[in-house]
Amino acid sequence: MAQTIIMPKLGQTVEESTIVKWHKQVGDSVAKGDILFEIETDKAVLEVESFFEGTLLAIIVKEGQTVPVTTPVGFVGTPGESLPELPPPPARKTPAAAPIPAAVPAPSRPAASAPAAPPPAQVPAAPAVPARRGVSPRARRLLKTLPLEASELAGTGPGGRVVERDVLDYMETSGYNALRLTPAARVLALRESINVLELDCGQRIGVEEIKAAVAEKPQPLSPMRQVIARRMLQSTSGIPHFFVTVSVDVTEVLAWRKDLKKSGGNCSLNACVLKAAALALREFPLVNSSTDGRSVRRRSRVNIGMAVAVPDGLVVPVIREADRLGLDELNRQAAQLAVRARDGKLAPEEMRGGTFTVSNMGMLDVENFTAIINPGESAILAVATVQQQPVARQGKVVVRSIMKITLSSDHRLVDGALAARFVNKVRSLLEDVALWKNMI
Amino acid sequence: MEKYDLIVIGGGPGGYPAAIRAAQMGARVALVERELLGGTCLNWGCIPTKTMLASAGLLSEIQDAAEMGLLVKDATVDYAALLQRKQQVVAKLRGGIGQLLQAYKVKVYQGHARLLDRRHVEVQGADAAAEKLETDYVVIAAGAQSARPGSLPDHARVYDSRAFLDLPALPRSLIVMGGGIIGCELACLAAQLGAQVTVVELLDDILQLLDRDVRMEVRRHMERRLKIKIITGGALEQVVADEGGVSAVAGGEKLQAEGLLVAVGRKPCSSDLGLERVGLTPDERGFIEVDENCRTRAANIFAVGDINGGPQLAHAATNQGTRAVATIMSPGPIQPRAAIPSCIFTAPEVGTVGLTEQEAAGLGLNVNVGKFVFTALGKALAANVTAGFVKWVTDAGTGQILGAQAVGAHATELIAEATLAVQQELTISEVAGTVHAHPTLSEAWMEAAHVVAGHCVHAPPARPRKRK
Repeated sequence: MAQTIIMPKLGQTVEESTIVKWHKQVGDSVAKGDILFEIETDKAVLEVESFFEGTLLAIIVKEGQTVPVTTPVGFVGTPGESLPELPPPPARKTPAAAPIPAAVPAPSRPAASAPAAPPPAQVPAAPAVPARRGVSPRARRLLKTLPLEASELAGTGPGGRVVERDVLDYMETSGYNALRLTPAARVLALRESINVLELDCGQRIGVEEIKAAVAEKPQPLSPMRQVIARRMLQSTSGIPHFFVTVSVDVTEVLAWRKDLKKSGGNCSLNACVLKAAALALREFPLVNSSTDGRSVRRRSRVNIGMAVAVPDGLVVPVIREADRLGLDELNRQAAQLAVRARDGKLAPEEMRGGTFTVSNMGMLDVENFTAIINPGESAILAVATVQQQPVARQGKVVVRSIMKITLSSDHRLVDGALAARFVNKVRSLLEDVALWKNMI
Repeated sequence: MEKYDLIVIGGGPGGYPAAIRAAQMGARVALVERELLGGTCLNWGCIPTKTMLASAGLLSEIQDAAEMGLLVKDATVDYAALLQRKQQVVAKLRGGIGQLLQAYKVKVYQGHARLLDRRHVEVQGADAAAEKLETDYVVIAAGAQSARPGSLPDHARVYDSRAFLDLPALPRSLIVMGGGIIGCELACLAAQLGAQVTVVELLDDILQLLDRDVRMEVRRHMERRLKIKIITGGALEQVVADEGGVSAVAGGEKLQAEGLLVAVGRKPCSSDLGLERVGLTPDERGFIEVDENCRTRAANIFAVGDINGGPQLAHAATNQGTRAVATIMSPGPIQPRAAIPSCIFTAPEVGTVGLTEQEAAGLGLNVNVGKFVFTALGKALAANVTAGFVKWVTDAGTGQILGAQAVGAHATELIAEATLAVQQELTISEVAGTVHAHPTLSEAWMEAAHVVAGHCVHAPPARPRKRK
């Protein structure tokens, strides 16, 4: 009996995944542990191995399709055996740009040859002929040549039937006839379902204008961006944020790093920030907690998330028990996670379990910024770029390396005084060069 | 100090139409020209070469007259008379420009113009003291001149296109360095008038801007009918010029001729305009950077024509000049970019507009191409001009006409219809549905349009494609 391959649930929050690439084709033999396909979740691209042995008999979910987890995506079995009958995959709003999941083929037809359904149009196909039956064939034929939406078209024929005359009148009254639409632009607008009446251009409407309108059509966000959108909105609408900024004098720690490098060692300033935050969190456990407004979860471990920019998004790999890691180990883990994040190779569990987040824009030349708390945590530290600044020291103006850090806190749990004490703790740890010298 | 609304630097096809258009719109305009009104186009380019080509083409027709049932004996070239006609034509047109400028009250200054700052221009006449003018706007249309590799000997037998046109006698043999438009046109001219011509092109083929099938058609005729020797894919080296002639080596072959025509491109005349005083630094090739309306980085200074790095064509310069003036006189939305046709007066002629098939492929576009050969056209057979074809390049999705090329008799006239189609973004069905008079060469466009649509009456049915 053929074995059903399902879309695996890789991660607790993963509800659906996209097949990026099939590594096996229908008819290929499959061994246990062979990589069957690659999927893109909202967090990473992952390879999926086969639990079964046999021949790949059918592919139901093609490359580029997104389906909920546990949806059957294909079958492995013995060539020639019949495939089980399946209910159609759960419906999912498929964005216009992505191919729609093909309907599950009838059992008698091999799945691989099932024709892919055309992508559904997101904008109603132009011309939007009035839905009622009363449109004369001539009127309908004319409407089909017009790249406009004629939903307001009123019929004057018998029983309110739309006749050709009505369409011609509408072309005049809607302003369509006054448009300077080039022939190629008209054809392109029809193909791309662009309503030319909505275009905002005073002069001739050419192919460039239509292409611009096509480019402006709403496009679906990537799964990753949708997750970011959902979580950021959840955070800003559900968590009362407030912000506390301090300036950290990193002159000494930078000098220490320089010496460390000379002696063959290395440690990034980011690792020092992560370490300092971890140590401070141990001292202020409430900052390492989370609340839903009725209860508080005090986390027993300090797991620091590290925001990493990736193409078209952001991921937050987590360094577990950062307070207990040696500085060199923390530095190594942070560097590795950053590389794996940029390569899209993070495993879902590597992005789970964070209790606090550090967002470092030090490389991006910013003076200061505030970050949005990751839902499930109560604070996030925003780290800005180190800048040479004149500062007063013992009554004199001197130039020092200053780095501003800003803590965003959930005011339901963290009050101003606590936040102030916490960031100042981070600051004083970073400024305590003796501490760092002892760590490596 | 005289004060103007606009000063135009250069009286060629970029400059003088800009001056006249601005005057038409009510501006007080001055035009500075250091040589002759009409610029390269009128004096040493388009017009003189076409005048001479008219004679050369007629001679070719006379030589082929027997094919047409006419017996003409002893047709020979009177080169002096030919040159004299050229001078008359040029002088007449040049006079016309002078009269037009005068009629529109454009003040013409004879001399070399330099920018002093963004609002002041100095004109240095040949024998007078420099005069300082004030202006609100400047249009730079100073043009370009033939580039000359420094390795070539400085000798009277080595000349650029301008000097070539003024030679008192046509050399009996000629090496042409450069297989671009100018090189090929003048090679055909000299060959038609009886010279033994060798073209040497560094690139793999001549006329690289054209599609391969179009280039091949031109090259075949140049080699077979005009007996022009074409050496491609190698440099012209070891050039030696003396009283006895010019010798050189190309493609491992020793070449010997009475003269060497250098046609390796044209470099902009931007070095002595005072650009540095207004913060305009030409790029490494000497071009002045401009935006879509030909405005430079200095807001009141525009640069049009050969000097701004766009197509080096007279009609492109004119279009840019009037566009720049429109921007100055009535700032408004950016005008849609004009389709600029290109005409190559070789034998046979070539006209091209929009994208070629190879350019479309380079852009990753999916195109349908329709070709129609003149041998299948009644008028072409009747007139004994069966060489060549026309070709549409259309977008496979919408049918939009993206470009067209014509090669053959009157191709430079035929390209006008295609230019209109490209400029107005017609689809192939508009052309296919337009009645073209019979019997004419322009029917080829309609037939080629039907080929794109797959229902050409005058072409055999397409062979069914083999199924894979």
